Amino acid sequence: MTDLQTEPNERLETKTSTATSIVSMLFRFQSLFGLVAVFIVAVLLSPVRDGANIFVSSDNLFNVVRAVSEIGIIAVGMTFVILIGGIDLSVGAVLGLAAVGSAVLMVNDDFGMWPAILIVLAAGLVFGLLQGIASAVFGIQAFIVTLAGLQIARGIARIWSGGQGVAIAYGDGPGEAPVSFSLLGERTFNGLVPIPAIIFVVIAVLAILFLRTSAFARHVFAIGGNEKAARLSGVPVTRVKVIVFGLCGLLSALAGVIHAGQLNQGGPNDGSGYELDAIAAVVIGGTSLSGGRGSVVGTVAGALLLGVLNNILALRNVDPNVQLLVKGLVIVAAAGLQRLRPAS
Amino acid sequence: MDIAVDDAVAALVEMTGVRKSYGGALACRDIDFTLRAGEVHALLGENGAGKSTLMKILAGEITDHEGMVAIDGTPVRFTSPVDAQHAGIAMIHQELDLVPGLSVAENIFLGREPRTRLGTVDVRRMYRETRELLAATGVALDPRRPVGELRTGEQQLVTIAKALGLDARVLIMDEPSSALSQAEVEQLFVVVEELRKAGTGIVYISHRMEEIGRIADRATVLRNGQVVAEFDARAMTAAQAAEAMVGRSVQTLFHTEGGEPGEIVLEIDDLVVHAGRVRPGRREPNGITLTVRAGEIVGLTGLLGAGRTELLETLFGAGSRGRWSGRILLDGKPIHPRKPRTALKLGMAMVPEDRRIAGLALEHSVHANTVLSIVDRLAVAGVAVRAKETGAVREMVERLKIKLRSIRDAVGTLSGGNQQKVVFGRALLTEPKLLLLDEPTRGVDIGAKAEIYQLLGTAAEQGIAVLLASSELAELVGVCDRVIVLRDGRSVAELDTRQAGEADLLAASMGVAEPGTDSTIAADMVELAESPAGEGTS
Repeated sequence: MTDLQTEPNERLETKTSTATSIVSMLFRFQSLFGLVAVFIVAVLLSPVRDGANIFVSSDNLFNVVRAVSEIGIIAVGMTFVILIGGIDLSVGAVLGLAAVGSAVLMVNDDFGMWPAILIVLAAGLVFGLLQGIASAVFGIQAFIVTLAGLQIARGIARIWSGGQGVAIAYGDGPGEAPVSFSLLGERTFNGLVPIPAIIFVVIAVLAILFLRTSAFARHVFAIGGNEKAARLSGVPVTRVKVIVFGLCGLLSALAGVIHAGQLNQGGPNDGSGYELDAIAAVVIGGTSLSGGRGSVVGTVAGALLLGVLNNILALRNVDPNVQLLVKGLVIVAAAGLQRLRPAS
Repeated sequence: MDIAVDDAVAALVEMTGVRKSYGGALACRDIDFTLRAGEVHALLGENGAGKSTLMKILAGEITDHEGMVAIDGTPVRFTSPVDAQHAGIAMIHQELDLVPGLSVAENIFLGREPRTRLGTVDVRRMYRETRELLAATGVALDPRRPVGELRTGEQQLVTIAKALGLDARVLIMDEPSSALSQAEVEQLFVVVEELRKAGTGIVYISHRMEEIGRIADRATVLRNGQVVAEFDARAMTAAQAAEAMVGRSVQTLFHTEGGEPGEIVLEIDDLVVHAGRVRPGRREPNGITLTVRAGEIVGLTGLLGAGRTELLETLFGAGSRGRWSGRILLDGKPIHPRKPRTALKLGMAMVPEDRRIAGLALEHSVHANTVLSIVDRLAVAGVAVRAKETGAVREMVERLKIKLRSIRDAVGTLSGGNQQKVVFGRALLTEPKLLLLDEPTRGVDIGAKAEIYQLLGTAAEQGIAVLLASSELAELVGVCDRVIVLRDGRSVAELDTRQAGEADLLAASMGVAEPGTDSTIAADMVELAESPAGEGTS
């Protein structure tokens, strides 16, 4: 064939490739664009008091971040689990267990704040690691393992708390938790920035850097992309999977500690349904449920999007049942957009 | 362009001016293609030449094309594969379209299960007819076995049986033999011959020149979505076809210069694996003895199920768990790798059998796939160093002549040959002493094949010991210094490729090496393997 024939086509190909790369950019940062869009809608719909837009007031915006901090921290852990092609249904129950643990250890058992927190975090880590071992070493599906884990964690939490929420009173005496623990419910920087929001942002930034730069993260992506190929390429598949489940358990426990600090109590049923919100944040963030593709940036955007949505609906006094419905529709829309995403 | 077309024979299929583009790229540019009843029409071309697209249009899988398709002279416009099936067109896909969890019979009758009067599935009839179809395909399989348990080659035979069950007038076979052993290919040819006699029109897509020369009547060569040549398949030489496919002459397919073999790298002494859990369809090593020296390429041959893949997996720590007896020595030291990570650390690397299943994460970038085995080695304190990685990938891309736009592109967007080179690149980046290759050129076009052979030659020259399992006899004879013959998990013979040819390998694989113990099949097959088109282009 002559060059004359190929030329026009090649030009055509390069032109479409720039077009596709713009489209794939849009999809790649879908959740960020979604967040911006929802944010703008929220500004427009926000009630106005004394000429000030309530939604964009700094107080309210920090409230949004505080409100999503627990789900957000869990969703960061969930992102790793979903990236390896797994799922963790136990996160909400582990949160409840950690909240109960914090309260019981400090109030009933007179532990100091740091020992209590460290014990609870270690328990979350070990719980996650055990689930990882059951899934990766014994080959039981993650869905099943963590469904069982959910029941077990709830069971332990109920036994430990006697079935009731354990209230946290602050003070120096016996049966009282150290006052510093109540800081988790406070705001800093002139009473502006909530502590849980700061913890969430720190965790998110660390996780983003970790996922972007660590060799471990490459292994995580590889396992989700093609586990068999990863194994044959020398990736320590079992070890990576166990660690990822451990990390998710650890972060869930951290969210539980924050939960106890914010509510001044630890209830065995705390965190019910949080696993679904966390999964929703991950999915809205563009992480593929089949693994191998996604980002923590997306997950954070997804969590904030859900937070903004809840916030504006509450500000507008929308019936909570309608809120649920709207949330469901947004998840479906986000997942639907994923399907339109070009292959590469 | 037409060669001696007998106008008296009406064209069963006539495609004229067929055009199809993906985005801006034209996959088919005004292709004319005809198929007559009782004809085997070979379709040749490198991967991406437009063969599969053209056939998917004929099979009703692609419907948004331009141009005309006529069956028996009547223009048709299929709207779905089912539509095309009703018109008597069936396609055997290169990607095996089977449901792993269903049994062989359930797969063969999927969507058209025979019914009893009560409307339930007539299981008995289904299994009986499956047995008949399997017998016609020449494969001894239990119709009740889940397809997921079968090896790739057996699965391929099941898809062929499935297509036979459709009683199609037009049968499109897209690389039906790529996972078959030589003996099974022979059986496939018997089936094709019977269909031809019965008046079925067959389109046969294959990268194996010797097959085309044997069973096809006509051959059409596509390049860049256009018809570039048409041959009388029986008179066509492999060199002619290759030249038409790549658009330039292919000088040497095989890298022939052998260096002096060095020290013994791998020594296996009477290796037997007693698998803890017996997995159906697997043939564990059951008495393997062989050696591979530095700079040597040693082949593994044998019929399907002889245990080639299982041996490579065992060496690489990816085989069945269980007790071993015998010894594996690497550089004289006994080893017993239980996972691939250990094997890699010991200095082995593997190119697995099916790159889509075991080789690559297709959605991930060329970069990510290529450096996967060495990310932790290149990392500093656990942090991946992008620049070092990119350097390593770029070097491999250059060294292996991988054709791509950017190393950030998904590896799935590359052609089959270039994908395979990425798997090679990953293995070579680990700087192995011993390279284990399982069907490294399957589904790879002839141009890329030549480059892969070149690459193997270079690797051997650099002192890497290579153990190569292949079901392509021409490849083994062309590339290897020695070939080990496996039968039922045992090493039964060792042939020097300076003296032995394809026929000898085949005879040894079948266990009819000694004169006098001959059977007619073996005699036929030996003759077949020696046919002129089978000599390759060297």
